[in-house]
Amino acid sequence: MFHFQSYFSVQYLVFLLPITVILYAFLPQKARRVVLLVSSYLFFWAISGKLIVYLLFSTLSIHHIGLWLSRIQTDEEQRLQVTVKEQRKEIKACFLKKQRMVMAFAVILHIGILLTLKYTPFFASNVNTLFDFLHIGISVKIPSFLLPIGISFYTLQAVSYLFDVYRRKIPADQNLFRLALFMGFFPQIMEGPICRYSDTAHQLWEAPSIKWQNLTFGIQRILFGVMKKMVIADRLNLLIQNVFGKPQSYDGFVIMIVMVCYTIQLYMDFSGTMDLVIGSAQIFGVKLPENFQRPFFSRTISEFWKRWHITLGTWFKDYIFYPLSMSKPLKKLTARARKKVGNHFGPLLSGAIALFCVWVCNGLWHGAGWHYLFFGMYHFGLILCGNIVEPFVVRATGKLKIQRDSGWYRGMQIVRTGILVCVGELFFRAEGLRLGLDMFKKMFTNFTLTTLHDGKLFSFGMDRYDFLIVFVALIVIFMVSIWQEKGISLRAQIAAKPIALRYAVYYTLILAIVIFGAYGAGYVPVDPIYASF
Amino acid sequence: MVYVKRGISVLTFFMGLTIFLVMLSFLFVPKNNMTEFGMEEVTANGILGEKENTIDVIVLGDSESYTSISPMHIFKETGYTAYVCGTSGQQLSYTKTMLHRAFEKQSPKIVIMETNAIFRKVSTVKAIVAKLSDFFSVFQYHNRWKSLNLNDIKGKVKFTWVNDFKGYQYRDGVSSGMDKDYMKPTDEVAGIPLLNLNYIDKIKSFCDENGAQLVFLSTPSTKNWNYSRHNAIRQLADELSCEYVDLNLLPAEVPINWNRDTYDKGDHLNYSGAVKVTNFLLKYLGKTQLLTDHRSDPAYEKWHDSLKKYEADIAEKLK
Amino acid sequence: MEKLIEILEEIQPEVDYSACTDLVDGHYLDSLSILSLVADLEDAFDITIPTVEIIPDNFNSADSLWKMILRLQEEG
Repeated sequence: MFHFQSYFSVQYLVFLLPITVILYAFLPQKARRVVLLVSSYLFFWAISGKLIVYLLFSTLSIHHIGLWLSRIQTDEEQRLQVTVKEQRKEIKACFLKKQRMVMAFAVILHIGILLTLKYTPFFASNVNTLFDFLHIGISVKIPSFLLPIGISFYTLQAVSYLFDVYRRKIPADQNLFRLALFMGFFPQIMEGPICRYSDTAHQLWEAPSIKWQNLTFGIQRILFGVMKKMVIADRLNLLIQNVFGKPQSYDGFVIMIVMVCYTIQLYMDFSGTMDLVIGSAQIFGVKLPENFQRPFFSRTISEFWKRWHITLGTWFKDYIFYPLSMSKPLKKLTARARKKVGNHFGPLLSGAIALFCVWVCNGLWHGAGWHYLFFGMYHFGLILCGNIVEPFVVRATGKLKIQRDSGWYRGMQIVRTGILVCVGELFFRAEGLRLGLDMFKKMFTNFTLTTLHDGKLFSFGMDRYDFLIVFVALIVIFMVSIWQEKGISLRAQIAAKPIALRYAVYYTLILAIVIFGAYGAGYVPVDPIYASF
Repeated sequence: MVYVKRGISVLTFFMGLTIFLVMLSFLFVPKNNMTEFGMEEVTANGILGEKENTIDVIVLGDSESYTSISPMHIFKETGYTAYVCGTSGQQLSYTKTMLHRAFEKQSPKIVIMETNAIFRKVSTVKAIVAKLSDFFSVFQYHNRWKSLNLNDIKGKVKFTWVNDFKGYQYRDGVSSGMDKDYMKPTDEVAGIPLLNLNYIDKIKSFCDENGAQLVFLSTPSTKNWNYSRHNAIRQLADELSCEYVDLNLLPAEVPINWNRDTYDKGDHLNYSGAVKVTNFLLKYLGKTQLLTDHRSDPAYEKWHDSLKKYEADIAEKLK
Repeated sequence: MEKLIEILEEIQPEVDYSACTDLVDGHYLDSLSILSLVADLEDAFDITIPTVEIIPDNFNSADSLWKMILRLQEEG
């Protein structure tokens, strides 16, 4: 009956969301939770059908394992109370070991499912290439699995819940349905944000009544997201598909333009989706964590990754980077290194090892492919370089009397970071690593402006008008970003204005989408880019 | 009190939005039925330029329809006037739009529905956009913001362009398709999507209301047609009490030679195939006794001009 | 507290630590500098900082850092 391609489908925006909102608005609190859960499972079912068992299994298992951990913890406390101080350490160690076993089992289970479903085809095909290379006459059958939607997102949520219970940051939840809602809440199941139990579970369960302000703010944010996606991301799609599909036939200049366009598309698609997701949740009075914080104002790559796909970054930081770099062997390494190479470079070594792991995971999380891995390594390299070079830059700029806080220096940093990000996205999008490298090379070896002079540039999928409207829309978004950067809440400002002006804002957004949206004959909407990760 | 106030403000908001959409629709609707004016599918929409109440038969459908039926050939032989409103990959949402458009100025007595389009699943988005476009054409023509000019603001809609081929699209070349067994009898019945059935119902009742006879026609195609589809349409036609003609089962009347009469391996017919289908169709139309010969009617003088151009054009192409 | 400020200034000199309350959220401290910081603090104050404590709330200002240090010293 339903067929959702993305949150930007009529099915979601015209049916599922409004119907859920209406039911939610008129039912008592206890029923509201049920409405959210039913809508969530309906949504999942509509997209992935029977594969919903994976989600159900994950939910059941974290519920069970969470309680298991909690039993061990209470056991431990009881035992500690009755033992003398000298023996406590021993008991602690014993229980820690128990908990670790449980955690290892849980992590292997959840990450194992994800790895099996997502990476066996990649692994198998690489094994085959290797056998081929070594002239071994065996070939592994390449299996293919149907991936349930959002598995890369909810698996991370599941693991974070268990880790938080294990670390006693949160108590294990007795309530299976609260966990189910935390795992499957429909606006975020497909593309995140990756939530923490402590952030959203209780908010969702509370199911507050709908407030007028939340409703209007939510709708505004949804409209803004739809604008980003339909006016910009979808309009860029044809050009990007054409050039990335057949990069051989375009010169370096076109590739450069398209590289920037793809970065813009990725940002607009993903942050537009996040606007829609967070806006949807806001209608229900749920505050989801932000996933973007104007990433293109970043001065360094490391800062960029704190402002782009934030929830993924913090997940990796909290559950991979710090545990690794603070683990005993690496701590010892740090201590030794600090004595030899000083305070700045000492921690860098163990940091680098942990960072390396993070970026291998980050690259592979995006997909099973060598170019994703390359993408991860590229950013790992950039961040590491940035950290190694940093003290020298500080010294150099100090000697040259360059004001590191001056506007132009900041601007230079921002532009540089932007360029580095664009290059990374080129490899990210390229169909295979080799094509990516070819395209990159072309920007230097085959750079001419002829397509701009003879106007051919405007025949590759976007004409002058398309470029113009994308530019105008980007200016609007840029202005909004500057306001946000200054900490001004635009929606609160709008709410304080007279009704005519408020209406004008809605009308402008809606009509801009109706007129300038890239839908209808001749347009192919972007597949939800992040949903396939 | 707060609820009343909010209710009223929401209501006024939507009224305002409706007014804006109506205004924009006036602005964006193509002012003529030519590509330069922003009209889509001009060969099919050429019907909008035809003189009032001059078309006897319209044909709806996808590419099967406009490659298989040549209205000018019918006119030459019988004096009946037909127009093919088929478009490439037509979905029934657009079929319905074309039907309504055709009946604005015309009152055809026979509506022929080429059956291949009935199996093409209408996407929900298309259906909703089509529904919205019924009220606000800005949803369909929004992309014209690129070519708006002064004329769009003050201009009235006036369709002036006529198509000398009356919707037929000439195809030549031969690429034979040798699937002789494609009509092997079976009891299987192909499925028709629910939404599509809904559209067919609407199309049928529209024809009934306007006194037109709906006829299902399956043109020859080894790629698109088979017996289970035949069964499905047979059933549908019986339910709706429509006529159904499947040319794939009439090799004696429509002797398609799959070695010569198709340009893409049995998918579509070329000109020689189209002549065979049209020859059958004009006899079929004659038998209905609903239509009159307009060849000596002075009101149809323009059709003779078109016929001359059509024949010259075809002769040129056949060389 | 002075010792703490000293350590912080060595790691990232461009911040006014008496006033800044968004060291992490304002991107003044990145994860590698936090590693150095943790190592320094553990040395200087003879504490062990477990992974759970590394959250923005604890690292956003010199004040909150100091509170965390005191707490960890007490727990021993």
